[in-house]
Amino acid sequence: MDVYVVGAGMTKFGKHPDRDAVDLAVEAVNEAIRDAGVDRRRIQAAYCGHVYGGMVLGQKVLARTGLAGIPLANVENACSSGATAIREAYLGIRAGEYDLVLAFGVEHLTTRFRGALTPGEEDLEGALGLTMPAVYAMRAVRHMEEFGTTREELAYVSVKNKRNASLNPYAQFQKPVTVEDVLNSRPIADPLRLLDCCPVSDGAAAVVLASERLCAQLDRRRAVRLAAAALRTGTVEVGLPSMAFEPLTRATAQDAYERAGVGPEDVDFAEVHDCFSIAEVLRVEGLGLYPVGEYPKRAARGEADIGGRLPINPSGGLLGKGHPLGATGVAQVVELVRQLRGEAGPRQIPDAKVGLAHCRGGKAAGIEGAACTVLVAVR
Amino acid sequence: MSEIAAAEPYVPFRPGLLRFEGGRGVLVGGRCRECGATYFPAPEVCARCRGQEVERVDLSGRGTVYTYTVVRQSTPEFQTPYVLVYVDFPEGVRVLGQLVGCGPEAVRVGMPVEVVFQEVGKDPEGRPVVGWRFQPVQA
Repeated sequence: MDVYVVGAGMTKFGKHPDRDAVDLAVEAVNEAIRDAGVDRRRIQAAYCGHVYGGMVLGQKVLARTGLAGIPLANVENACSSGATAIREAYLGIRAGEYDLVLAFGVEHLTTRFRGALTPGEEDLEGALGLTMPAVYAMRAVRHMEEFGTTREELAYVSVKNKRNASLNPYAQFQKPVTVEDVLNSRPIADPLRLLDCCPVSDGAAAVVLASERLCAQLDRRRAVRLAAAALRTGTVEVGLPSMAFEPLTRATAQDAYERAGVGPEDVDFAEVHDCFSIAEVLRVEGLGLYPVGEYPKRAARGEADIGGRLPINPSGGLLGKGHPLGATGVAQVVELVRQLRGEAGPRQIPDAKVGLAHCRGGKAAGIEGAACTVLVAVR
Repeated sequence: MSEIAAAEPYVPFRPGLLRFEGGRGVLVGGRCRECGATYFPAPEVCARCRGQEVERVDLSGRGTVYTYTVVRQSTPEFQTPYVLVYVDFPEGVRVLGQLVGCGPEAVRVGMPVEVVFQEVGKDPEGRPVVGWRFQPVQA
């Protein structure tokens, strides 16, 4: 049973002091349903991804969108919450239980957090002073040590993504920056600086998934096949593994490639979880899209630009578009849909046929990462 | 903050992770009796072979810095800047901690460090809470 994304919508990401999470999600859900061109009474189930939205956030959204009464589960998997919600919808359709399912993600992070996210004080490493920027700073030190990656090469990742974001009206950052801007921004956790880090964002995104049977009744040309939705959790680290490579990303990608029947060489573009400049490096190398150790140098040569050999984060990614935790994984799929339909405007990747979305969220002492998702969409 | 040397009344930063013997503190990890995999902290079940007999093992007092960062923005409970290091121990475990006893500019990958135990705060009854720090080994 093939599964298709038939509708996609999102709010502009950024700071929304005058709106709350429910309000943002309602906008995204309504846009996705309108985009799908389906009668909302046919939607049979919904999944809502969020981290800090509080109890039954998803139900509050259903109540305002004419959908109350259908089954809904709120899904929390840190930064992979939205992608996990999509996967639940995908599984429900593949199981034959549903033909039309809504998946959305939302976060109003500016009212929850300022500054650095942490694993939480109850976590052993959080209690020792570990912050998320510190985790990635220490990985950056290792990537520099093991592969000779330079500070300027890392900065270019942020330059590229913020430039892409300036071509995306839904992105939080609308102005390009230079390598010098990144290097001169405020230090956060050495060697990472403010512009190496994704911003604190509010926003929502939604997609409508349909079975092959139902998709046949809709405008098939606008449907994008969701060929894989893989999820893994981090394993307990034994021994002294390299922090410059991500086995969790590699393993999740292998699940997704196998299910989708494609390999990394078939991928035309990818949206990856670039919460930090170094994070994009680790994702892309873990996914097998670029050789391990080589991505920073190749990206700095333009290979990952829109129009390059294999574009990474054409939407602007988390660094440029913003990172409202629960919404992020869903917004990645919104970008896959727009690119694969040819609706991405000035950031369109010519003739894109296979897009990949990667999310990775959470940290707990002893495990490599909490939750990792890889979704593959095919035109 | 002075080093805690004696078994005076104290509260460990986390139960089961450190102990004092003969006035000297040690970090306590776990080793699987079946496959020998070593952990810090000790798990209930071995993640490698799923063996359920994990014995307690004292970690060496010294290790080397695997990676580091100088944290310049953190949560309100932590005064910045501070240096975080992951330290690799000869037992094959990696432990996170703050580095003290040298300036942030002195930290390097591969630097030898030793474990020291310090008061890191007070518990609700006002008793000292003891945790670990790393400091450079004096040549």
